[in-house]
Amino acid sequence: MDQADVTNLIVESAEKILSDFCDKKLLDQCEAGGFAKELWEEIRSNGFFDLGIFKEQYSNQDIFAFLKICGRYAAPLPLAETILARGWFPDALSDESGVVSIGVVDGLEVKRVAWGRFTEWLVAINIEDMSLRLFRDFEVVEEKMNMAGEPSDTLKVGDPFSAIELKEEPFAQMALAKTNLLAGTLQSVLDLGLLFATDRVQFGRSISKFQAIQHSLAVIAAEVAAAQRAADAAVDSIGGERFLIEVAAGKARVGEAVGIVAEQTHQIHGAMGFTHEHQLHHFTRRLWAWRDEWGSESYWQRRLGEWLSKQGPDKLWASLATPG
Amino acid sequence: MPALQFDRIALDAETENLREQVRQFVQENEGHFERPNSDFVTGHDPEFSRKLGEKGWIGMTWPTGYGGGERSNFDRLVVTEELLAAGAPVSAHWIADRQSGPLLLRFGTEEQRQKYLPGICRGESYFSIGMSEPDTGSDLASVRTSAILEGDNYRVNGTKIWTTDAHRNDYIICLVRTQPAEENRHAGLSQIIIDLKRDGAKVRPIKNMAGGEDFNEVVFEDVIVPKDRIVGEAGNGWAQVTSELAYERSGPERFLSAFRVFVELVRFCGPEPTQYQATVIGRIASHIMTLRRMSISVAGMLESGKDVVVEAALVKELGNNFEKLLPELARVVGSDGFSDFSRDGDLFRRTFEDTMLLSPSFTLRGGTREILRGVIARGLGLR
Repeated sequence: MDQADVTNLIVESAEKILSDFCDKKLLDQCEAGGFAKELWEEIRSNGFFDLGIFKEQYSNQDIFAFLKICGRYAAPLPLAETILARGWFPDALSDESGVVSIGVVDGLEVKRVAWGRFTEWLVAINIEDMSLRLFRDFEVVEEKMNMAGEPSDTLKVGDPFSAIELKEEPFAQMALAKTNLLAGTLQSVLDLGLLFATDRVQFGRSISKFQAIQHSLAVIAAEVAAAQRAADAAVDSIGGERFLIEVAAGKARVGEAVGIVAEQTHQIHGAMGFTHEHQLHHFTRRLWAWRDEWGSESYWQRRLGEWLSKQGPDKLWASLATPG
Repeated sequence: MPALQFDRIALDAETENLREQVRQFVQENEGHFERPNSDFVTGHDPEFSRKLGEKGWIGMTWPTGYGGGERSNFDRLVVTEELLAAGAPVSAHWIADRQSGPLLLRFGTEEQRQKYLPGICRGESYFSIGMSEPDTGSDLASVRTSAILEGDNYRVNGTKIWTTDAHRNDYIICLVRTQPAEENRHAGLSQIIIDLKRDGAKVRPIKNMAGGEDFNEVVFEDVIVPKDRIVGEAGNGWAQVTSELAYERSGPERFLSAFRVFVELVRFCGPEPTQYQATVIGRIASHIMTLRRMSISVAGMLESGKDVVVEAALVKELGNNFEKLLPELARVVGSDGFSDFSRDGDLFRRTFEDTMLLSPSFTLRGGTREILRGVIARGLGLR
């Protein structure tokens, strides 16, 4: 099997599992405080948490192709966190470790821990020096939520279990994960827009036949296509000198697509898409939440802009025109 | 659901080596860059075009038998993006290289290829596009210019408009009616090559709002053209013209028109920009990096002979909107409202103004935004 076959296999089996499990009922349950235990077990037993560990077997593309699918189905679990953390702490963490999540150090607390109340291990990223510490000993101080209704808790930590520094900024790795989750979710929102516009009849015909709606969907499709390409480019930069630059461009570009795609797709859906009963909001609220997590557009645009300014105007084009 | 796929493509070492050669060429020809502008319609410089021809950088992908280089679409893309980014004066040969040549290669007769392509490759022979008419804009099938067969000749009557460089180009390829319009509006259309210098077309310049005089009205009054000037087959004009437009839509010229404004913005802001300036610079860059890769993906599709109509329209839609966004973003952080507003003020201001004045054309030429969104909608299965 060559690499493309492996990736396809991962994508196909992930799609099968996630499309079985991730229905509106599950998403609603998780938002009401539940934890998708069965889905977690299914993903674990199918080996997806090993994606970050077995480097010879899986490429980086595989991890992020999987995360794109997770975004596509709005999988309500800290999957990116667990997979990346397993790769960062391969000795301490195993398939039996259970839920691992990641947050940002703020004094003695670790903030914005996805599904923090359900996690068994915690990785804390120190933004000052981008160092990492792994904790087994911690307690939940405050239970919070992001605007998608996903737990985003504050934890107080005890003594670290282990500590490391990475070649590639962990903060940027999480931004890359969110970029791919967003790219997957954006694709679903486009699909929902196309489906709704085709099914919905007004003035005696499908609203997809109206030019105004067609133009809206064309704009949405263009943004979604740009987001996919930007996310892929960021993944391809792993291990290279341009990692931070490409993640910055990717997260910023995908984040910008979110605003346009979410707004226009809601417009197409009319009042139905504004109801809790419709599934659209599970996707659009994730888009709105995730674009601000692990660095918003302005954060990454600024980092990219500062780097380019240092290169200077006469090297500007050369700094952008990469072979891949 | 239809997936619009933009494949990951990495340019190989040979192509990257070519990039270095183009950069060196640009440095050695500084004299041609007095007022760099990345808009492909700006900068008519036949001497520069001939120099590019000598390097083998025009008609690069065409067979060597016609003067081409048989190089890849990626090589061509790298040459064009390097020239545009540097603000090179490429307008003289641009249309012939991008559009007229490929059209003749694909649909023209052997005699036509032999006759026209080598001159294009040398950077000596320039072409105009004869599509729009006074009453025909986006609705291209409504053209009324007629070419009536009389013995061995066609008699051409009608008017073409917005014809870039018709006053100094050698030929125009016109979309004409060779049969009266019937129920199927796409039938009876043909493309015909008219010699702008010899066949008696009357060319009247039209001044644009930026002060430039590069587009024209071209009037044909009983212009007699030999019948072997029909491109390909008479009656096949609609199919030919739509394929021609796809070539026109995905290249780097669809998102780099305003690039020099970005360069001067970065110069203006300096190595330590304010937070706001850095944010704007990063935002612009994130768009260029993405659009460039999408454009390379389309070159890859062209390379493997795939149909690129929808993907090309998509790149143009995103690219043109971005070309308009760039100067808008740049002006907010590049001037404080108290700088020198005299026309031709400082370098940033001058570059910004040149581009701002051209910007309305970005989403009009090569298919309006409205037409492109229709093409994309068709690709999404909505039409």
